[in-house]
Amino acid sequence: MAVGGYPPATHFLGDLGFRSEVLSDTSAKGLTRVSPHVAGADGGARAGVVATLVDVVGGMLGVRILRPDWMATADLTVQLVRPATGPCIEARVELVRRGRTTMVLEAVVVNVDEDGTEVLGGGGASEPVAWCTTTFAILTGGNRTTTEELPFDLPSTMEIGGAGLKRSLAETLGISVMDAAAGRVSLPVRPYVHNSIGAVQGGAMALLGDLAATEALGAATGLGPAGMVVTDLQVAYLALGRVGPIVTAATVLDGGGVPAGGGGPDRVVGPGAASAVVELVDTGAGDRLCTVIDARGMPVSAFTPPAVSVAAAP
Amino acid sequence: MSGFTPSEPVDVRHYMSEYFRLERWEIPSADGDEGLSEFGGRVPLDPHHRGAGGGMRTGVLLTNVDSVGGFLAGLSVLPRWTVTTSLMATVTRLDHRGPLRLHGRVLRRGRNSVVAGLTVADEGRGDVLVAAATGTFAVLDPGDMRLEFPRPATVPMPPPMADTPLPEAFFRIDPGVGTTTRLELADHLRNPWGILHGGAVAVLVDVAACRAAASTGAGPVTVEGLAAADTVLHYLRPVRVGPVEARCSVVGGPPGRALVRVAVHDLGAEDRLVSLASVVVLEV
Repeated sequence: MAVGGYPPATHFLGDLGFRSEVLSDTSAKGLTRVSPHVAGADGGARAGVVATLVDVVGGMLGVRILRPDWMATADLTVQLVRPATGPCIEARVELVRRGRTTMVLEAVVVNVDEDGTEVLGGGGASEPVAWCTTTFAILTGGNRTTTEELPFDLPSTMEIGGAGLKRSLAETLGISVMDAAAGRVSLPVRPYVHNSIGAVQGGAMALLGDLAATEALGAATGLGPAGMVVTDLQVAYLALGRVGPIVTAATVLDGGGVPAGGGGPDRVVGPGAASAVVELVDTGAGDRLCTVIDARGMPVSAFTPPAVSVAAAP
Repeated sequence: MSGFTPSEPVDVRHYMSEYFRLERWEIPSADGDEGLSEFGGRVPLDPHHRGAGGGMRTGVLLTNVDSVGGFLAGLSVLPRWTVTTSLMATVTRLDHRGPLRLHGRVLRRGRNSVVAGLTVADEGRGDVLVAAATGTFAVLDPGDMRLEFPRPATVPMPPPMADTPLPEAFFRIDPGVGTTTRLELADHLRNPWGILHGGAVAVLVDVAACRAAASTGAGPVTVEGLAAADTVLHYLRPVRVGPVEARCSVVGGPPGRALVRVAVHDLGAEDRLVSLASVVVLEV
């Protein structure tokens, strides 16, 4: 079921597939399936896919909270703490604060089975895979949803389903790598990636930044994109990407690591020491800066071991 | 309660400025008034600002980032002004040699908010980039606040303070261990609006996250061996009363790295949530 006619029948959100439920006036949850088509080098859903899930579920809750107003995502953060290997991942979203001009939400993301049962860790403990926040700018008026589409009764559920992905999400979106070391990747703009107002959906922008950072950090460390996992995204949405192609450029920060070949792959970057600033510009709109993403990556070998030491959950 | 107490009549800006010793300078746009200024900053690596990694503590670094970004954002909307609503920072090195040089530019100037992008370079390491941040600043009516600056605006680097206290003492952060850390709202920590300075929240969040990671770790890790790195900090409401309490929970992470969620509450204002943060804590 679409809300306000969005998303259309053929859309990447439908092909990812989402099932969401607004639980109360301040909380919602939603899940999507983890398949190899959305996975990164660690076998879990990419940070950009987690961002898309949080944006969709947060948007579902926000539409309800803000009605009759509308909203646009202003910023979004994703911080993975372990691989989001599923079988599905569920975002549990809570309202943090609604102000006059902005609304802040937070989300915990967990691995769940198809039926929504949480996949627990050792000892039966809950083990989040990510913590996220998002800020929506409130747009006065403009909420086009009908009561039928978004009933007041709770809980209210919604499913977005399409044909499903037949190949990797990056390929499906038409993303191409132009220059890996420079983090230059390109996304064509077409209705398949549109948001409700005809620009590139925020999750797609986050995914593009994820892929650009993976390429740039993989090249900078010598590990290549297959050896690098982007774990953290700090996304600032500045302007709509309407024309395209959307093209990225990455600046890699100094991580203090030893160059590849000089100290072994685990010493190239420390556990928290590989980041890039990725800028996304709309080349069809005078190279307008649309989004800036600070992205952190880790070697796959450093991210995939079981959590121990300071990371132990209370 | 122990901690720093100013001996002279308190001027908040005076004490905060002298404590951090941040030099700032406006970089006018090449096309004059039609363009937006950029901003530079430089801060020495004073001993009391060093953390477990040997470089500047991330809470201190964030305060400097906020100072450059806030000045930049405020000047871009004169005669109105701004307050910080969020900081998102990635910090790749914790062993800076210093001084650190900051650069900020306006990424977006809207009716209700300004977004600024900032970078931090380590001059002692050949100007390599060691951190990047994005700040969002809400536009507001400054009321009676006097906002007149000679342009281009400059703030010189203050000389070192005598007997400079550690951040925990200066910011009146209670000693302790565990998942809850408290800060007393002393007058010298209030900003010109009369509310708790955002930098104090940044330092509190840093200290609280490291204490929480140390207290919940399974290994023999003490807080002296931990340092805060990447931080997301949402300023949700002003802190007017205090004391302020940072309540932490460790979300998880691979070995050597823990993500800590920090909820900051104003106990004197019906315990309301005033800031929400996440901090990556690293073993160093």
